[in-house]
Amino acid sequence: MFQWLSKYFASPAELRNAGILGMNSRNFKFIAKLNKRNLYPLVDDKVQTKALALQYGINTPRLIGIIEYQHEVNKLLELVKDWNSFVIKPAHGSGGKGVLVIKSHDLNTFTTPSGRILSYKEIYQHISNTLSGLYSLGGQYDTAVIEEMVNFSHIFDNYSYQGIPDVRVIVYKGYPVMAMTRLATAASGGRANLHQGAVGVGLDVKTGRTLKAVMRNMPITHHPDTGADLSKIEVPFWREHLLIGAKAYEMTGLGYLGADIVLDADKGPMMLELNARPGLAVQIANGIGLGKVLKKVDKYYPKRLSPEERVDFILTGIKPERKK
Amino acid sequence: MLYRLKRLCTVRFIISLMLLFSVAYAAYSAYYKVRYWGFSFAPKDKTNVWTIEANIQYEADGSPVKISLATPVSSDDYKILDEDIVAAGYKSSKENGRLILTSQPRDGLQNVYYRILLFDNESAKGKVEAPLPPTPEKPVYSEQTEAIANELLELAKKFQGDLPQQLIRLFNQVPPEPTVVAFLPMKKTPKIVAETIERLLSYKGIPSRLARGIKLAEDKKSFAPDLMLEAYIGNRWKLYNLTTGQIGLPADFIIFQRGGNSLLDLEGGFDSSVKFSVLKSVTTSFDLAGKRAKIADDSKNFENSIYNLPVNEQNTIKWLMIFPLAILVIALIRNVIGLQTMGTFTPMLLAMALVKTGLIPGLICFAIIISIGLLIRTLFSKLNLLLVPRISAVVICVILIIQAMTVYGYHFNTNITASAASFPIIIMAWVIERASITWEEEGPFNAGRQILFSMIAAILTYFIICNETIRYIMFAFNELNLVILFLVMLLGTYTGYRLTELKRFRPLVK
Repeated sequence: MFQWLSKYFASPAELRNAGILGMNSRNFKFIAKLNKRNLYPLVDDKVQTKALALQYGINTPRLIGIIEYQHEVNKLLELVKDWNSFVIKPAHGSGGKGVLVIKSHDLNTFTTPSGRILSYKEIYQHISNTLSGLYSLGGQYDTAVIEEMVNFSHIFDNYSYQGIPDVRVIVYKGYPVMAMTRLATAASGGRANLHQGAVGVGLDVKTGRTLKAVMRNMPITHHPDTGADLSKIEVPFWREHLLIGAKAYEMTGLGYLGADIVLDADKGPMMLELNARPGLAVQIANGIGLGKVLKKVDKYYPKRLSPEERVDFILTGIKPERKK
Repeated sequence: MLYRLKRLCTVRFIISLMLLFSVAYAAYSAYYKVRYWGFSFAPKDKTNVWTIEANIQYEADGSPVKISLATPVSSDDYKILDEDIVAAGYKSSKENGRLILTSQPRDGLQNVYYRILLFDNESAKGKVEAPLPPTPEKPVYSEQTEAIANELLELAKKFQGDLPQQLIRLFNQVPPEPTVVAFLPMKKTPKIVAETIERLLSYKGIPSRLARGIKLAEDKKSFAPDLMLEAYIGNRWKLYNLTTGQIGLPADFIIFQRGGNSLLDLEGGFDSSVKFSVLKSVTTSFDLAGKRAKIADDSKNFENSIYNLPVNEQNTIKWLMIFPLAILVIALIRNVIGLQTMGTFTPMLLAMALVKTGLIPGLICFAIIISIGLLIRTLFSKLNLLLVPRISAVVICVILIIQAMTVYGYHFNTNITASAASFPIIIMAWVIERASITWEEEGPFNAGRQILFSMIAAILTYFIICNETIRYIMFAFNELNLVILFLVMLLGTYTGYRLTELKRFRPLVK
């Protein structure tokens, strides 16, 4: 009876010893204490996030323009006439909802990466829907953000069933403490949600190399659809990835955040969005409890460092010498 | 770190302290309500309420009338809830536990009614110690009578029981002892026998008195009060049946009058009689609370309580008072068990609907509404409607489904579908909307799972709030809601693992 139980359930003591961070603990000890409510709009509104990122020297896809009101929708053609490709996003969207990628266009017909051809009327309708809140959280009126299309690096090409994977870095008090990438599978319906069956690959925060890959809580070695060897992932420009996360702390003031970063073939790592309540699945992908890592940061990591110093401390483990 | 730990402790500490206070307050308040208002912990606890009607009848003789009737005194056994006098043209007053009615001269047959409402305080019966009465004066007997008295007392010894019992049994012996016959006057009435025994007891220094009362029995009409003997033995007054000598208050017996005073004194009339009628009614202890509060001199507190509101308002509040408990259950389900439900309080509202419809009919109804609603919503999602109009359309569809089900239920006489109207329309629309979005984004499996979890949470909540006793207690002892408030707040500082996380993070434990 108890053996059966312990096959499917861990005891609270076992989880505590493994340093696993639970949802209640995350909300009470970290999010409620470190993330001030008034800072949330900085990450929930992509327009604000982008403007701030520019100030703090964080690379993001360049903003082409924003459309706030219905009567401005026709502005689109004026905005994109010099851009061959662009992306339309809801400013308050989440999880890729309402994102429309246009690979090429001639101001009349618009082509998506998958080859679908849309008329201007359809694009107009999409922006119209975005403004009225079809894709935003809670259905509030929204703003459509038009930004440049990321020229994705081909390094991940084989690792995902559909779409381009991003790297999620968990940043605690400015220190990047854990990272993972989520790879869509056929089972997850092309979505990058772990609980829907996407593959989670834990990345060693020191090197950007694979730690562990899991799918539906079970360790795996190869992608179920593409067959790519998951143990071989090594994210290039790792230091730059971490630096984006570290800088996001100064930028937002959020003590516990998740940064979603994609790799552009020409411009290097770019921050896509920030999350003030990053989930706990990163623990499963890494096979490491987040609780004990955060405790270590509180106890041993030096305070009042610059983002660069923090990233170097993570990479080398050496405390920077301070000039008095 | 230490600072944070300290702060955490104090938040928890303060809430725990408040919780303790609220528990203490609730306990005191519950005690108060039970003690003074007569609330009980069981919803169907019934109390007997007796209506006693004394009908005084007399022939008026044309002179000013003064009627004096002994009335029962509130004891711990019986409390008088209400008094009522039906006597047109009389002035009434109370004097030494007697009802005094005065009037101008009258003629002919007169009827006056005095009605009291008593309730039965079963728990307090026969436990009261009485203070020591003064030692009675020895009766003055002639030498000859004294000799017979002594002989009687000697004769009584062969009977069982204590002295009053022995005497009663001696006097009731058939055929009577010659000595007894000699001692009593020619005309032997129960009253004379009682008075004789009373005198004999006084002779032995035992205080005693006569008591008149009536036996409360259902729907007894027009009867004379019973006479009993009370003797002070062993620090308390004991009541003796004058024919059997049995000790103790007969069940449901109420004493109207004690001692030598008469039951009824009348000036200005003749041929007077008092006839009693008794009517028993059963009320919940709840309905009596106000009257009891009045006796306990506590009407102020009661008037300001929810129990003094009109029944309609009380029912509304009774319904409200169950919400905090349901909320606590939901908080436990989400933060301790960790079930992800659709919307925070949706399961609670569904549970409320289930209480009204009954579990099985409610679940069937819910399933029908959701299925048809999802079907319609799937059609809508093809139309790419905007959020507010879309959800509005779903709401209207839910209303139409409910209407159709109610009509169908009426025609085919099935209660199952007729209960559809109890479901909260907006909540149902949102459940459909969320399920549909989850379906599109995360697949039917996840949508079904979310609905299932919401239903499990609703059914769990239902089983707690459908209990009549729990509902009653949450209303009768509504300060428990304060306890729940601090429990919920304390839950807000719970940082332990959720039950579902024990499974979710199992792979991380070697």
